[in-house]
Amino acid sequence: MREEILRVFSFYFFLGKKSGRARTFFLLSSAAVLMAIIIRTYRLAGYWTEDGQVIFQNFLMVFFLQFLIVLLGLFYGSSLVGEELDNRTLPYLTSRPVRRAAIILGKYLAYLSLTTIMLVFAVILSYLVLNLDPEFRPGDLLTVLRYSAILWLGLAAYLAFFSFLGTWLKKPMLVGLAFGFGWESVIQYFPGTTQKLSVAHYLKSLLPQYASSSGKLGFLFIRLEPTRPVLAVIILAGIILVFLALACLIFSYREYLFED
Amino acid sequence: MTAVIEARNLSRWYGNVLGISEITLDIEPGITALLGPNGAGKSTFMKIITGQLKANIGQVRIFGQPVWNNRHIFRRLGFCPESDAFYEELNGLEFLTGLLSLYGYDRKECLIRAGRALELVELQDVSHRPIRSYSRGMRQRIKIAQTVAHDPEVLILDEPLSGLDPLGKRRIIRLIKEFRDAGKTVVVSSHVLPEVEALTSEIILIHNGKILARGDIHFIRELLDSHPHMIRIRSPQYRELARLLAAENYVLNISFEPEASAVVFETHHRDRFFNRLNELVLDPGLDLEEITSPDDNLQAVFDYLVER
Repeated sequence: MREEILRVFSFYFFLGKKSGRARTFFLLSSAAVLMAIIIRTYRLAGYWTEDGQVIFQNFLMVFFLQFLIVLLGLFYGSSLVGEELDNRTLPYLTSRPVRRAAIILGKYLAYLSLTTIMLVFAVILSYLVLNLDPEFRPGDLLTVLRYSAILWLGLAAYLAFFSFLGTWLKKPMLVGLAFGFGWESVIQYFPGTTQKLSVAHYLKSLLPQYASSSGKLGFLFIRLEPTRPVLAVIILAGIILVFLALACLIFSYREYLFED
Repeated sequence: MTAVIEARNLSRWYGNVLGISEITLDIEPGITALLGPNGAGKSTFMKIITGQLKANIGQVRIFGQPVWNNRHIFRRLGFCPESDAFYEELNGLEFLTGLLSLYGYDRKECLIRAGRALELVELQDVSHRPIRSYSRGMRQRIKIAQTVAHDPEVLILDEPLSGLDPLGKRRIIRLIKEFRDAGKTVVVSSHVLPEVEALTSEIILIHNGKILARGDIHFIRELLDSHPHMIRIRSPQYRELARLLAAENYVLNISFEPEASAVVFETHHRDRFFNRLNELVLDPGLDLEEITSPDDNLQAVFDYLVER
């Protein structure tokens, strides 16, 4: 099975690199870097006084956590099967000597790798642009790596969830958008255990300094009733495993028909 | 000969729409053509025998093994889908090596096999061009290349000649015949009768999800007892010939084509007709220029069967 997954991974990683979609999302991810450059320029000109760390935290919360990883997860996850159906290329895959589950896992890993490159590139570069000054300590890099790891976990969870939606639903995009940008945003403002029905809750529980929330967008933390970090990691890992297993199961036994 | 593909009572519905119904057949090495109009059930049958779809009823086996979710069988099977679909970002070589890598071949082996397949379909010169820039004929050929690149024993080709120009068709037909000569089992579908005639005489006529007839074209023609055979004879003495044969009770109808100096006979007893014709030809003064059977082609057979 591992070898089959690797075969699919190699093919789709290569294919993914060449796709126009990868270029589009890479540019979109780079928007964070561009924004960071603009803000830094303003700071140098003396128009922006806020600390680089605080600005980056706002970036992290608004652009990366609530927008980019959801968007990457949605577009890549829901296209796992959808693109093969839309482009009618599914028979090329399902007539090869690989298990259907290996197709899902191989594609998932390929897309996770591609989106990770986009994400980590944008996170590290925008952090450096905002914070690289004479007071910058190499130890700060550990902070950004920790942020990147949390975001990566979130990306993996969203990708798994949307992969499941993609194998299950014929048109997963609408449901995915409603979940990613509706449910995930709104539910966080609910008190009690309701907010725990979102991926974002566990990611926010893992974010360092969430309690201070001194940024302009600190209101995003207002109602957060954090889960313990270890438990949050376990739950996120569980989300990834459960939804991937479901996606594999559905894809293994379901027939996919083209529109006509 | 042992059957390579065995289908037993295959039925498949799409909701309330019938795809195929109770199809039972054995397919042996050589070229077998599935012939029928669009929507007849050819593609459904092909998707079932290649494991893309499950039959609602019945079962299909290739080399004695079930097909659905049986990845092992795909090493011995090559499938050329009907749709003109590709990973358009790739070039021909990348497309083939990418798909070959799914078989577990290493990079070197993938390149060797892809090179061989490209040579077979005569696309070596354009192998580094993106597939999106290929002509229809090239796209059809690269699709066939991915079908044969792993050297399968069974080839399932869904409408491989559709959209090709005459030269392209001739090229693919030659290629398919080469596969047959190499001992492979080739199943080809088409709704264009002359294409099928050019490929094989082993034909399965399929319509409304059912097999109407199977055999070579002459055998199928013999099945059509309710339809007389047509025999067209061109001769300077075509009227005299008609007069001589009109007396025979097995001649059902006679029509003339004066502009071609020809007469067309309809009979249920072709053998008796030709025996009598042989006797007449021996008579001095009766000169025959051409004898043809206008309805001894797939179009006529198909029309008859569909009307039935």
